[in-house]
Amino acid sequence: MTQRPHDPSAATEHPRESWKNDEAALLTMLEELEKRHGYIPHQISDEVGRVLEVRLERLRRIQTKLESSVRRDVQTQVARWKAEEGNLIMILHAIQNQHGYVPREVAMELSRELSVKLARIYEVITFYHYFKLQPPGKHNVTVCNGTACYLKGAGGLLAEIRNHLGVGEGQTTPDREFHVEVVRCIGCCGMSPAMVCDGKTHGRLKPTDVSGILAQMKTPAAAPAAAKEVHA
Amino acid sequence: MKSLTPADLLPITPQPVPPAEWVRVQLDTGGIAAGAESTLEELRAAVRELRPGLAVLPVGSHGRSFADPVVEIRSRGMPDTLYGRVTPEIAPELLTAHVRGHRMLDDHVLASTERGREVNGPVSHLLVLDTGAGEGKTAFFQFSFIEELKRRGLADQVQVVRALDIGIHDEGVVVQLLPGAVTYTNVLAPDVARIVEESIIQRRVLDDLLWKQPDPQVRIVLRNCGVIDPEELSDYLAQAQGYQALRRALVEMTPEQVIAEMKVSGLRGRGGAGFPTWKKWDLTRVQKTDQRYVICNADEGDPGAFMDRSVLESDPHTVLEGMIIAAYAIGSSMGYFYIRAEYPKAVARVERAIQQAREAGLLGKNILGTDFCFDAKIRLGAGAFVCGEETALIASIEGKRGSPSPRPPYPSVRGLWGKPTSINNVETFANVPAILLRGGAWYASHGVEGSRGTKVFAVTGKVNHAQLVEVPMGTTLRQIVFDVCGGVQDGREIKAVQTGGPSGGVIPDSQLDTPVAYETLQQLGSIMGSGGMIVMDATDSIVDVAKFYLKFCVDESCGKCAPCRIGGYQMSQILDRISRGRGTPDDIPTLRRICLAMQKASLCGLGQTAPNPVLATLRYFENEYLDHVKDHSCKALECSALVSVKLDQAKCIKCKLCIKNCPVGAVSADFVIDNAKCTRCNSCIEVCPKKAIARAPKSEE
Repeated sequence: MTQRPHDPSAATEHPRESWKNDEAALLTMLEELEKRHGYIPHQISDEVGRVLEVRLERLRRIQTKLESSVRRDVQTQVARWKAEEGNLIMILHAIQNQHGYVPREVAMELSRELSVKLARIYEVITFYHYFKLQPPGKHNVTVCNGTACYLKGAGGLLAEIRNHLGVGEGQTTPDREFHVEVVRCIGCCGMSPAMVCDGKTHGRLKPTDVSGILAQMKTPAAAPAAAKEVHA
Repeated sequence: MKSLTPADLLPITPQPVPPAEWVRVQLDTGGIAAGAESTLEELRAAVRELRPGLAVLPVGSHGRSFADPVVEIRSRGMPDTLYGRVTPEIAPELLTAHVRGHRMLDDHVLASTERGREVNGPVSHLLVLDTGAGEGKTAFFQFSFIEELKRRGLADQVQVVRALDIGIHDEGVVVQLLPGAVTYTNVLAPDVARIVEESIIQRRVLDDLLWKQPDPQVRIVLRNCGVIDPEELSDYLAQAQGYQALRRALVEMTPEQVIAEMKVSGLRGRGGAGFPTWKKWDLTRVQKTDQRYVICNADEGDPGAFMDRSVLESDPHTVLEGMIIAAYAIGSSMGYFYIRAEYPKAVARVERAIQQAREAGLLGKNILGTDFCFDAKIRLGAGAFVCGEETALIASIEGKRGSPSPRPPYPSVRGLWGKPTSINNVETFANVPAILLRGGAWYASHGVEGSRGTKVFAVTGKVNHAQLVEVPMGTTLRQIVFDVCGGVQDGREIKAVQTGGPSGGVIPDSQLDTPVAYETLQQLGSIMGSGGMIVMDATDSIVDVAKFYLKFCVDESCGKCAPCRIGGYQMSQILDRISRGRGTPDDIPTLRRICLAMQKASLCGLGQTAPNPVLATLRYFENEYLDHVKDHSCKALECSALVSVKLDQAKCIKCKLCIKNCPVGAVSADFVIDNAKCTRCNSCIEVCPKKAIARAPKSEE
């Protein structure tokens, strides 16, 4: 289907040109017309219909563009691992590294590319703790709950985080600002209890340190003094 | 790099590092988390101004995690010195003092674990540390020594330094003379003048004070950790006799001879189960097939264990060399490293090691010019504890859910893609090159009957110095916890040591003199495990610990078989009830019954060993369970539902710190704690300057 350039004269007829690109304006205009006439004149509805068709076509192209980008992405990953047996987990790692989680449309595309049933892919994703199906928050707080940290008070840290953010293990704040994760062991048992905040590890923490760290994550420059030195 | 041939490797013998002076910065995950990367940058900047010839080298971790970031310096006119807690802020000052001023910084020196027997040259530094409780006298003795040296006119020749750690614990004031590392313990005030007069001036050793016990540690697996640059093959080749063992195996030995050497060494699997390594290789070798696989199990899932991470990050080439030798012995041409994705640094370093080995012709076709071909690849784990179990691990490498399958057939018969597969732990592989270089008999000379060689432990929890420890088998738990790691924090009583992670058991105080070996630990109801060792003190509730481990196994259960899926859940419900003080006396026999069912009927090791922590705690600490069940009290004051937090009005100075710090507003304006609101987070207890707030049994209310 070819896209017909819209007749410019039609646009100048109407005082408010913006309606062609703005759904809210279009809706207001239609409501005004309805109020004035009691109905929407068919010349207008025809015109709007034409414009909508053009816009839909444009959106469809954008959608195809996105889809093909996802497909190309997945294809590159698949091509890299094609020759290897048992490549599914490695491909999922690559996808998660790129997106921060495994988006559904990517998983679907992967299923087509690998000729593996979508259920098989989800079977693997849901089995392993490492793979996520939800996008991560803007700031990530990872509390270590390895045995050493557990004995030294990781539970207290978590409770304190819940007090501040209102979310617990595996949850994201409604504004998507913070995501709280609990992991088995980050291997820093020498500095327990520890947590990783946006990639920076804080060690030998007390519940009272939590508020300062969270505040610092929100406004990195504002509160450097609140950061607890790991060697304290 | 061009391909290496056996002839290239022959002339390479251990020789001093090319730069005569260096600063080594220990960059492993723990060190980096403590800021070692910034320390490295600061040191590089400082060296440029100070002494451009000084090489600043990144190395792996020596194992002393409690002192991260750790830096080692060798420079003219100074003994080699290990510094701990070298934050980026103090790094330039420390370097300037050491290199230019020939002075060490107080409270940062990690003393050498070598113990000298005689004073050879002039003493330049004297380390002092009070290792007794409280560590109160260090500064006093430092002052006394300085005064005495001043009196003798030696004050500008000998510097007296407060040490951070000296490797000896609970032996009063310890003094070490550098260079030479002559170490005196239980030094009293009158000895100060004697030491200065006889040892420093006359260079005679005071036999009554001399510490003669050698360090209990023997470093075989960790021999290169903290010494070589883990990212440079050339460093491994030049400094660590790298790939010499592989050359020996390929050129001088048949695969059968390699296996025979392993048999002599008595090496058993270091992943925990302790299956003899030579037997595993032999079983895989005798299978008739076109393809065999070798897998390195680096899915270190035990919480609180970081031995494998440390070895992979600090010395990846040793593990790779061990794997290539194993492949040669069993006749495999393909190997996989299965590494946790949670260890990105380890993954990156192994990847680099494989890359470098491939470029040098140590991997690929015709290795070292022989007709042996082998290649290795990395597969990432994805956070499933059960994948440490070999059949589950194989399923995961195949790209499937990590569900275990029943054994037999064992992987050595039907493993990866149905082919015979030998799966060995990181630490097992790290032992192999050492065994081939120095002989199986040498290796077997360490350790005890049945358990030969050394074992690396990650000692953490309520211990003074959380660190990696490598000791010969047969060392007692008490030696590891007290002599090497400095005992329990804050001088509290030790209650138990947990070994073997979630599949292991709890060893009570009374059994700490047991020598560590596969069989002895099993008799105590625990297992060797991969080497996590967690120290618990009197404030840890045993019920709570059992609950923690069981919860871990319940989370990790794959759900395939009923005993593990249902049994684990039911037990965790019961334990939860007990820790809330709602248990009944019937619960304990029920727990025992479920444990037995899980042990006998579960499909894989995870389910069979999941009840171990419960059984072991029931065996040694049944009283504590009974306290919870009958008296509804927790002696350790740990189980939140059974304790209250109380404020002693007589001690209180009304400073309001508790009110300010309470996250839930449970402390009222007239300093009464509302226990209904309180979440038992300990914030107020920690901030109270007068220690007026404490936990108390709930029944007192």
